[in-house]
Amino acid sequence: MVSTLIPLFVDALANAAIIFFVAFGLTLAFSVLRVLNVAHGSLYSIGAYVAASFGLWIISAGLNPWLTFPALLLSAAFVAALFGPLIEMTLVRWTYGRGEAVQILVTFALFLILEDLQRLVFGVSSLYADTPMALLGISEIGGIIYLNYQLLLIAIAAVALFGTRLFIRHTRTGRLLAVVVADREVSEAMGINTRRIFTLAFTLGVFLAALGGAMATPTMGVAPGLGADTMVLAFAVAAIGGLGQIEGAALAAIIVALVRVLAIYYVPELDAVAPYIVMLLVLLVRPYGLFGKPPVRRI
Amino acid sequence: MRHPKILSIALAAALSVTGAAQAQDRPAELGVGVFTFTSGPAAAYGMPGRQGAELIIEQINAEGGIGGVPIVPTYVDEGQGAQGVISEYRRLAESGTVEAMIAALSSGNCLALAPVTEQLQMPTLAWNCDTHQLLLDGASSYYYRPNGNTIPEFMAYALYFLAQNPDVRRVAFINPDYSFGHDAAAIVQATLQAINPEIEIVAELFPRLGASTYQTEISRLSAARPDVIFSNLWGADLENFVRQAMPRGLFRQSTVVLALGETILQTVDVPEGTIVGVLGDGYWRSPEATEIGRAGAFAEAYRARFGEDPVFPTMKMVNAFLVLQAAYEKALADNDGAWPDSAALIAALEGLTVETMTGTITFRGDNDAPVDQIVGTVGAVEGVDHPAMTQLTRFDGSALMPPMGTDPIAWIASLSPEFFAPFLVPATAE
Repeated sequence: MVSTLIPLFVDALANAAIIFFVAFGLTLAFSVLRVLNVAHGSLYSIGAYVAASFGLWIISAGLNPWLTFPALLLSAAFVAALFGPLIEMTLVRWTYGRGEAVQILVTFALFLILEDLQRLVFGVSSLYADTPMALLGISEIGGIIYLNYQLLLIAIAAVALFGTRLFIRHTRTGRLLAVVVADREVSEAMGINTRRIFTLAFTLGVFLAALGGAMATPTMGVAPGLGADTMVLAFAVAAIGGLGQIEGAALAAIIVALVRVLAIYYVPELDAVAPYIVMLLVLLVRPYGLFGKPPVRRI
Repeated sequence: MRHPKILSIALAAALSVTGAAQAQDRPAELGVGVFTFTSGPAAAYGMPGRQGAELIIEQINAEGGIGGVPIVPTYVDEGQGAQGVISEYRRLAESGTVEAMIAALSSGNCLALAPVTEQLQMPTLAWNCDTHQLLLDGASSYYYRPNGNTIPEFMAYALYFLAQNPDVRRVAFINPDYSFGHDAAAIVQATLQAINPEIEIVAELFPRLGASTYQTEISRLSAARPDVIFSNLWGADLENFVRQAMPRGLFRQSTVVLALGETILQTVDVPEGTIVGVLGDGYWRSPEATEIGRAGAFAEAYRARFGEDPVFPTMKMVNAFLVLQAAYEKALADNDGAWPDSAALIAALEGLTVETMTGTITFRGDNDAPVDQIVGTVGAVEGVDHPAMTQLTRFDGSALMPPMGTDPIAWIASLSPEFFAPFLVPATAE
């Protein structure tokens, strides 16, 4: 019995790792900026495209294939450095204080622009850059062969979760982030440069999305349409965990992934809708998500 | 009596002048709408079709076009979804610049277009939509399919792997989540049950079209321990699945059947022993295609132009154009050289027999033309620098087509093991 359950959990955790990066970035940016970035999924796919292109270039240039590992991280950093400040300081900043409908429309327009930009730059054919996966080999768990790279993804997601928690609690910049999340007005009154914090938080969110895309690249084909699929799933995860809740996103990613895996194993017809059934059930019971709290009404 | 005689002479003269004028009154160009995927994951399958169209149109036009009229294609990307495809079809049909359509790639799009072809009375050749549901009601007047039907196609795969290994008892499916994938599973399952009811379906997975990752599905398939895994994934989905499944040992654990596998043999190192094939007879290296003698030269021109060998979607598209050409030529001959309108073209298509580059087709009364089905096994072929199809079996498409007006799945279920016996012969030809 246990041996049949182990593969199920390994699959769930491997799935959750990828979803977590994207949902984490989305919820982090939301917690600080209070802007729901619909274009977040595009940054995931741009991260995937850049990582795949970089990896393929390393191989075609005859460089050491192990360089494809740092290439994943560098690709995400490059995407974040390029798009994070650019988007936040232009489009997103313009939406502050303009209402949620405007924010969603603006970021949706950005999503459409970025999707077309990807087709323009990377074309419409799928890219396959699986060198990191091939280098790490395989392991057998519960009678099923897994890629060691999938196990690495789980470890990296865990490191990202705990690393961010340490960063927020034990560094000055992290504490500033937490203060801005807690009370933006008081933070400004105390002299904190909230604009800089906003840019930082948004860029960090972009980095996490791009890192998710980059890390997923070795185990999948990168093709147009990736961003939209990921975005919808990330929204579901963020909503289940509670918007702005990092631990919530982690737990929700595991729940959603586990439900999807259970669906594929036992009720394949429900594979596509399983995450949204969970979201519906959670929001019926806890409208602000598992870790979310109703906003305090100030009189 | 004099006046009637003069009148009859004048009438005869007028008719002969009109006839001569009709013969000369041909359009400057023959507009043809060509529908395929040129974007998204499906473009990996759709682009070889488009490239095939480009080349065959060039070749036909270089030989003077059809009845002296050059073909001018308008390409429509099916990647925009069914609603966009229908809108584009309507726009082209109503523009007056298009006289026939070659549409479409996706079975879903073909099913959506079927009522529109009737409504707009537009002669349409289905170049790749093989779903048996398309012409099932026998009511299509304007939709003709010269390129294969899912019933003989997928029955042939079941027959092939049972012929290779009669001891198969556990079968799993991983097919795309739309009519094409579900139909294939139903056909293979019905065939297996008719031959041997002890064969068990141990997993049925239908990931959505365009899924980027199949890792969980691969785990599920591994856990099910099937003897055979059947898949009709296609395009980038197929390549993605194979690339992800190979390192995880799926091809070592089970015999994998990739119904559209020929399309990826040039890009993925598909393991030897994998059962692959084409849909229909569109394998340009088949002995019959070699005997006909046109496919080799076409493949050479294709390779020179696009830097790769044609795959079966290319040949399906090319064959559709050859059928269109033959229909126009017959219509011209039947009408004393007068350029055919849509009714005359449809009349020419009825019961038409055409030798394509890879076989011979004849339209039945339901507008479907049975096509032979080629299945093989991946192996090394001398002179080919990538995995290729070996141990080919060519199944007689007519023998595996349900009679017109019957429910195909019920027809398969009604077949006795004796019916299948002649087909269950292991392939030996290299």
